[in-house]
Amino acid sequence: MHDLDGTGGSGLGGSGLGGSGLGGSAPGDLTVDVAGLTRVEGEGSLRLRVRDGQVEEAHLQIFEAPRYFEQLVVGRRPDEVVDIVARICGICPVAYQVTAVHAFEAGLGITIDPAVRALRRLLYCGEWIESHALHVYLLHLPDFLGYPSALELARDRRDAVEAGLALKKTGNRIVEVIGGRAIHPVSVRVGGFSRTFRRSEIRALREPLETALRIAERTVDLVADLPTPAFTRSGPLVALRHPTEYPMNEGRIVSTAGLDIPPTAWTSAFAETQVPWSHALQARDLDGRAYLLGPSSRLALAGDRLHPLAAAALTRTGLATEIATNPYRSVVARAIEIVDAVAEAIDLVETWAPAADARVPWSAGPATAAWATEAPRGLIFHAYELDDRGLVASARIVPPTSQNQAAIEADLAAFAPSVLGLPRAEAVLRLEQLIRSYDPCISCATHFLDLTLEEVS
Amino acid sequence: MTASATVVRTPRPRSAVPTRPRIGVVKLASCDGCQLTLLDLEDELLAIADRVDIVEFAEATSRRSAGPFDVLLVEGSVSTPDQVEELLRLRAVSHRLITIGACATAGGIQALRNWRDHDEIRAAVYPRPAFIESLAQARPVSDFVAVDGELRGCPIAPDQLRELLTALLTGRRPQLPDEAVCLECKRRGVVCVTVAGSIPCLGPVTRTGCGAICPAYGRGCYGCFGPRESANAASLAAWFERGSPADVARLFAGFTAWSAPFRAAIDTYGGPPGAPVAGEGSTDA
Amino acid sequence: MTDRFLPVAELDTLFDALAADGRRIIGPTVGDGAIVYEELDGAADLPWGRVVESAPGRVRLGDGDPARAFDYGLGVTAWKRFTHPPAVPGARFRREDDSLRVEAAAGSPPRLAFVGVRACEIAALRIQERVMRAGPLGDADHVARRAASLIVAVECARATDTCFCTSMEAGPEVSDGADIAMAEIAGGFLVRSGSAAGASIVEALDLRPATEAETAAAAAQVRAVREAIGDPVAAEGLPDRLRNALDSPRWAAIADRCLACANCTLVCPTCFCTSVAVASDLDGIEGTTERRWDSCFSSGFARVAGDASFRPAVADRYRQWMTHKFATWWDQFGMSGCVGCGRCIAWCPVAIDVREELAAVAPIGLPSGPPPWPASPGSGRAPEIGTTPPPVRAIARIRSFARETADTATIGLAITDPAILAAAPGQFVLVEQPAFAAPPISISRIRPDGLELTIRAAGPATARLIDLPLGTEVAVRGPLGRGWPISTARGRDVVIVAGGIGLAPLRPVLDSILAERPRFGAVRLYLGARSPADRLFVDELSALGGRADLEIAEIVDRAGGDWLGRIGVVTQLFDQAAWDGSRVTAFVCGPERMMRATAAALERLGVARDRTWVTLERNMACGVGTCGHCQLGPFFVCRDGPVFSLAELGDAFMVEGL
Repeated sequence: MHDLDGTGGSGLGGSGLGGSGLGGSAPGDLTVDVAGLTRVEGEGSLRLRVRDGQVEEAHLQIFEAPRYFEQLVVGRRPDEVVDIVARICGICPVAYQVTAVHAFEAGLGITIDPAVRALRRLLYCGEWIESHALHVYLLHLPDFLGYPSALELARDRRDAVEAGLALKKTGNRIVEVIGGRAIHPVSVRVGGFSRTFRRSEIRALREPLETALRIAERTVDLVADLPTPAFTRSGPLVALRHPTEYPMNEGRIVSTAGLDIPPTAWTSAFAETQVPWSHALQARDLDGRAYLLGPSSRLALAGDRLHPLAAAALTRTGLATEIATNPYRSVVARAIEIVDAVAEAIDLVETWAPAADARVPWSAGPATAAWATEAPRGLIFHAYELDDRGLVASARIVPPTSQNQAAIEADLAAFAPSVLGLPRAEAVLRLEQLIRSYDPCISCATHFLDLTLEEVS
Repeated sequence: MTASATVVRTPRPRSAVPTRPRIGVVKLASCDGCQLTLLDLEDELLAIADRVDIVEFAEATSRRSAGPFDVLLVEGSVSTPDQVEELLRLRAVSHRLITIGACATAGGIQALRNWRDHDEIRAAVYPRPAFIESLAQARPVSDFVAVDGELRGCPIAPDQLRELLTALLTGRRPQLPDEAVCLECKRRGVVCVTVAGSIPCLGPVTRTGCGAICPAYGRGCYGCFGPRESANAASLAAWFERGSPADVARLFAGFTAWSAPFRAAIDTYGGPPGAPVAGEGSTDA
Repeated sequence: MTDRFLPVAELDTLFDALAADGRRIIGPTVGDGAIVYEELDGAADLPWGRVVESAPGRVRLGDGDPARAFDYGLGVTAWKRFTHPPAVPGARFRREDDSLRVEAAAGSPPRLAFVGVRACEIAALRIQERVMRAGPLGDADHVARRAASLIVAVECARATDTCFCTSMEAGPEVSDGADIAMAEIAGGFLVRSGSAAGASIVEALDLRPATEAETAAAAAQVRAVREAIGDPVAAEGLPDRLRNALDSPRWAAIADRCLACANCTLVCPTCFCTSVAVASDLDGIEGTTERRWDSCFSSGFARVAGDASFRPAVADRYRQWMTHKFATWWDQFGMSGCVGCGRCIAWCPVAIDVREELAAVAPIGLPSGPPPWPASPGSGRAPEIGTTPPPVRAIARIRSFARETADTATIGLAITDPAILAAAPGQFVLVEQPAFAAPPISISRIRPDGLELTIRAAGPATARLIDLPLGTEVAVRGPLGRGWPISTARGRDVVIVAGGIGLAPLRPVLDSILAERPRFGAVRLYLGARSPADRLFVDELSALGGRADLEIAEIVDRAGGDWLGRIGVVTQLFDQAAWDGSRVTAFVCGPERMMRATAAALERLGVARDRTWVTLERNMACGVGTCGHCQLGPFFVCRDGPVFSLAELGDAFMVEGL
């Protein structure tokens, strides 16, 4: 899995050039085999083969060990599922918890208190802020500025990295206050939360959020000015869309291809398949088209729902159109969404008033429970069958990265010819940077499948 | 009596550790949350990076190293044949190998599959199971190689990671108490959820370090730090049995289910939910 | 002073008066389904109409008379949360070049009024005061907090099923110890002041005198409580019964159920044990300490160097807890350590009922043998505050270093503080440096201008101490403990027996004797070591070898190199002993097993048990008897020892896991 010092990675810290015998033998040839992708969450690799200018193979290989979550939740109660599915991803556990809890509440007909809904949204804002700040500053920015990591970047631009860390910390702080800890929080329960919160606890978030807002707005300016490779991708974009809110925990599934379905109906429009080079299943729409999720898709499909401060920031960049087509601009989309999440969090903190009870009572029973929310990386879908005792009989969990996988491969194939003329190290870096621009969460992507799906051979 | 022979030594730098120890962070089967905890030390991350050389940490840097490592932090359970091979290699090039988190120290949530037939569960999740290489059981790192230290938890606690790194840099022993969660819970002034609310709580048999988060948030501890020293899981299980006999195994079948005391309690009470009654699957394979 | 009457509607005037006295008011209120003691804004925050229903392992809030505020019973954790808080900052250490700066955390504690204190809780506060104010200074933090608090007691009008204060003679009647004592009766409260501070507050309320009927109603009320509780624990002779039950089979049976979760000790109003946690910056330049509640049930509590625990089994820990509460507390402090509040019963997650266990472990009528250790003075072994010289903290500069063995070295410390220089042979010091726990180190030489410490690298802190460059400063706290009674050996023969590093605390004995050699009879030194390479002070001893007035015999477990001496255990050196044991005073130090064997051998040779002195190792963390770690039966090794005679120790020296 790991090569000797400096030979397995890429970017400026290592050559990144594994390569078979074909590597770079002719101007139109390129073989790239990055054994272990870095600055992504989880373990994956890139295999790309171009011959005579023609892309023969572009595979995002995911060899993250399978963990079989859909089987692990069988026989468990809804509240246990909320705890277990968080462990699919240490980066976005809230996305899993909130999606599951919404699914169960929808399936079991539970109506939650508005104060609970607001707090869940605030919790989700915290995760968005943390996850996006992590990606923008620690994972992606080094690519644009030519550093192997943010730790090296900090030697020259300590202020920038410190600002990113402060932003990230504010996101974590929100999750800690509401959830007890930043990773795998413990308070989300079906029907509400495990405890009540005092207004003063929530209001205490105001001050760090105000600071974060200033950093977030500066972040937009920082990333909008980054030198960016030119690339125009094609293919449908998919996201949730809500009548009034920027999509996060609720909304209908819509696409640039005209799709518009309820969040429970994901399976009516998409399907997953297994490919031999990956432990993650790939999703496509029912026409077999790869589609893209995530911040750029959300901005394209629900940009009119941005918080006014975020909308102003987007306008200031003048990049609204390019964000929808150039994946390298996703860093700008993320920065805009940080502004949105911080601004909305401030509003929520200001207006929030406690609910009388921590959660509404509910009783277990048979149900079909499904829901979709917007994880930082894009739309996430959960579906559960509950048996007569209210225990999970079957589960289906579709994370964003497994849905994006096909689009990433298609984009790699489309982009690869444009780097053929570059020095090899730079070409590899561009390709890795492209992969990182989708913020793939490989830990999430593994271990999922719907048994009823057809295979693509 | 005269003074004993005095050797005058030359004063030397105070640092207890050779300059900039080489640190690696690697993962096996896991969610990445424990290694993310290092990046979550927002206030200290850059100061730490000034003092150690993070030579391998794929999640955060494109610098790569195959070793040697002064300290290697290993996340995740051992779940595939490749991981076994890689782990043996890493052990050989690591001065100190420290496991971080419930997956690495106890097998993690995915060890619940250890009670199940592996081929069956693989076939149930993947239509083409032959593509999937995995071991029959998800197991802790210490089942395969010697481990020099561990941080418990699902995920690990930022404070404990900070303590580990500070101890490493200052040359002292990290303070990682092996006592029950109850001590921290009571210090915090949390009302016992079991006694006052009949909520089953694994706090009395679970190692402290999290800060008693779950009881403080109105719910029972689910044991994510794994068994404490002298964990009397049998007694606690017998007490739970008086409340809800069918749920005893369920309570222990969490993120450290495969740890010996919790595994014994699960087996005593019929195996984890959703799995066939404990039998051959629960014995070491 | 006569009782006064405060109408219930005017209860807030009392709160106002307490606030006017500059106090925050802490009292009972409902929190998370139980009664907790928290800051109250006014009488409205009290748990009106709520009652605690408690049983072993179960506590629920029920409904009572909504016109009454103090029928609830007891809060979850005791008032010690405020007088002996769960975490108290200690000192801050900072290195500046070679220098060390130490600042003790000093804060003035808040002025508090505790409202609703029960008779058993007053008794518990008094017990903790005896514990924390024993010794030279008492615990400064506790003394200050206690002095800044005012007790407003409210007598119980209701018993719960876990109460047994009657058996422990700690309630339910509030007699003394309260600044203001109240009883809640129909329509209001009887109010009586019990101190000048209380009197001034009560005076300001300008209350009418209580009627005879009101006084009688209060008396009847508490009488009914006493009757309801009965006398659930047979306390007669309980300490002796327990002292004789150290080998009861019941301990193992309890351990089958006991989770060793420590809840009983943390809710206990008298348990006082603590540990010190250290924190530091990444470079170890600056470190702080914090004292935290700990428990004899936690594994680390009884851990000594090398990770060994002297109470490895849960049965050992439960025995320590129960015998301490009900028996050895009397030895230590002249009082019971239990007030019968029943919290340990109610809050035990698996419902272990100490009332039942006491009856099972130490039933009345159990045939009793002689007590395992000699009786302590009636007021306990712990000295009253101010009766012994206080230890001090002084900065010491490392001025010499001598390697003794592969893992042991002697460092010389330059010290100017006369209090530390007044140390006696056998005493020890705690050596502090930033970022490390402070290990107890016995003094291996006392000089006019400093101390020598011989240190084995048993853990990181000790390893670091013998690795610090010359000229570095450390902090030294001491002198601590009771040393060797060398003067009692004047005119007698002296036998010194050392095993390994055990020679270190005996070297000052030899120094003292040699300084006034004519006052002693024959002096014999018997030394054991693991191997020739593990012998300490080799040059010194060979220099002494030529003296005619000193006999030195050595033996090693394993030979090696050019060793031509004897091989075996140190007691084999007595084979050739041709001395009269009745003339001998013996000083012994080494591993506990070696000391036990030596003690037995000396006894066979006729050395009296009260003239055989040993020095014990426990994990002395505070050095002044307040952290609880080093307890051994009736003793705090740090304060009552570490030097003891065999006669003093009795069986405490022989019982495993004590």
